[in-house]
Amino acid sequence: MLEWILFAVCALLLFAAMVSFTGAVIGAIRFGFVMNSMHAAGIGDTFGILCLVVCLILSIGPGLNMMKLLVILVFLWFNSPVSTHFLIQVEYFTNKELYRFSDRIAGSKTNETASGEEK
Amino acid sequence: MSVSQAYHILFTAGLVWFAILIAVMLIKAIIGPGVTDRILAINMIGTMVICCILILSVLLDENYLTDVALIYAMISYIAVLILATVYIPANPKRKRFGEDVKREVEEGRRYVKEQRAEIRRKMEEEGFKGSTPLDMDGKEL
Repeated sequence: MLEWILFAVCALLLFAAMVSFTGAVIGAIRFGFVMNSMHAAGIGDTFGILCLVVCLILSIGPGLNMMKLLVILVFLWFNSPVSTHFLIQVEYFTNKELYRFSDRIAGSKTNETASGEEK
Repeated sequence: MSVSQAYHILFTAGLVWFAILIAVMLIKAIIGPGVTDRILAINMIGTMVICCILILSVLLDENYLTDVALIYAMISYIAVLILATVYIPANPKRKRFGEDVKREVEEGRRYVKEQRAEIRRKMEEEGFKGSTPLDMDGKEL
């Protein structure tokens, strides 16, 4: 009986992981702007991988493999924000529309200067 | 049905679902309009492949697959970082997209002012006393 309870918990956690990864994929496709897609991708990178690793740890029990799974979990938790940071820098340096948009927000005259008009 | 069979069905279903998600993200990586969309899709594909390898390591009861997943995580991370640094300037605080355009416009304006000043100087040398040449702003030089 206890095994089946453990199996139910594992199934619930795997289902949560699948749902969060599905949400990440749907968000990455449905959100038009890439910085919004990064927010959606972060859900799968943190909550999804947590649910999956806890599910696998519950199914295999304590041991060396459990420690390796925890190492992978911690490594992914550390490198996911760094990857997102670098991707946002790529978007910042390659998106021309973002540059114009930020200047329009700041109220600067760079648009007029870039188009060659005088103030 | 025993518990091991139930685990087998559960993990197989998880693998199939992750495979579908990976295929969808691969399509997104192909059609993604910008370079950042593609790198993001590759990053997500890497994370889901790691999930697949972890599930396989438990499903097949092969512990070394967890090491493979760890190495895959490191390589995916390095790949994303190197792909990103291709597009990031060496010193991000000094150069920004559009700065070169602004600098070119300022250089062009300075060149026009120098040319007009030279024309005015030549006209004064030749003794022309007509209308005064105007600046770009409409003021008299």
